[in-house]
Amino acid sequence: MTYVVIDACIKCKYQDCIEVCPVDCFYEGENMVVINTEECIDCGVCEPECPVEAIKPDTIPDAEKWVALNQEYAEMWPNIAEKGDPPADADDWADTPDKLSQLSENPAQQ
Amino acid sequence: MSVDAAQNETDFPIPTGVFAQTVTSVHHYTDRLFKFRITRPASLRFRSGEFMMIGLPNAEKPVYRAYSVASPSWDDELEFYSIKVPDGPLTEYLQKIKVGDTVLLRKKPTGTLVNDALLPGKRLWMFSTGTGIAPFASLIRDPETYEKFEEVILTFTCREVGELTYGQELVAAIKEDPLVGELAQGLKLYCTTTREDYPFMGRITDLLASGKVFDDLGVAPISPETDRGMICGSMEMLRDTKTALEGFGLTEGSNSRPDTFVVERAFVD
Repeated sequence: MTYVVIDACIKCKYQDCIEVCPVDCFYEGENMVVINTEECIDCGVCEPECPVEAIKPDTIPDAEKWVALNQEYAEMWPNIAEKGDPPADADDWADTPDKLSQLSENPAQQ
Repeated sequence: MSVDAAQNETDFPIPTGVFAQTVTSVHHYTDRLFKFRITRPASLRFRSGEFMMIGLPNAEKPVYRAYSVASPSWDDELEFYSIKVPDGPLTEYLQKIKVGDTVLLRKKPTGTLVNDALLPGKRLWMFSTGTGIAPFASLIRDPETYEKFEEVILTFTCREVGELTYGQELVAAIKEDPLVGELAQGLKLYCTTTREDYPFMGRITDLLASGKVFDDLGVAPISPETDRGMICGSMEMLRDTKTALEGFGLTEGSNSRPDTFVVERAFVD
């Protein structure tokens, strides 16, 4: 059991989740964060913290796709244990649906 | 065999980046429930109601599980209240700990059952089943809870009467406590059982739906204007109590967006 970050995070990256994760299992890309599904302990504390509801349990209908995406990038991107600043235009993207085409595969510059 | 396993725990080095603390007391309530207290790391800060990851030094890579800190943030020890799961990866060993043993703590306390995640209100309801009472054991011993709410009601539902003991002894002790006793005189504990005979019986969600809990306590029904809620129990209980509170017009909040009720998902039964 794990939680996953879905495309609602892309270009918003508010990072309220980072503050509360007890096992620091978030990994940071240029415009999204993902969960290392092998490190997540399924505690769920991050889920209600996200202002754009980008964190979901792995019981959602298309969970498999998101588990694979989260794990793929968690293995490529650096760990993030402390919240940074969201992008300046984060709010402009908060209501945009289906942002997967906007995902940057680049790791965050930490 | 298992006693040997517990004694061998010191064969493994303490992992880096965790607190290694010493057990100061252990109390067994039933064959399924026990409480233990450990020393508190001097540098540890947490908010009453938060949980931490606990493990034992009995493997190269210890198994950690989320445990609500049952003691308040001002206490110089840490208290935990646990079930004993047969063959549970952690509790099988944890239930055998003795005074002087070492317990590991990961360093980051967190959680949603904190006063900060609730908007100001007059009355605070804490709904618990089983070991889900633990975060509330912390919060009802914290003066801040009584500074923020005029009235505090803790509901505690278990299958059997003996499983209520921890909560009953806790509340009785709080009323006598020199620090919070006076503040906590109005604290109400509402215990029910679901299996064994007891003066008050039933699932808390059924008692909320029928209004019996309000009649039994002699209080007004829940309203979003005055009432705030915190929920900690089994997955089924979380789901149903959340639905019940939403039915009263309350809305789930979080640390970043406080609202009228909060839910602990980290609870494992």
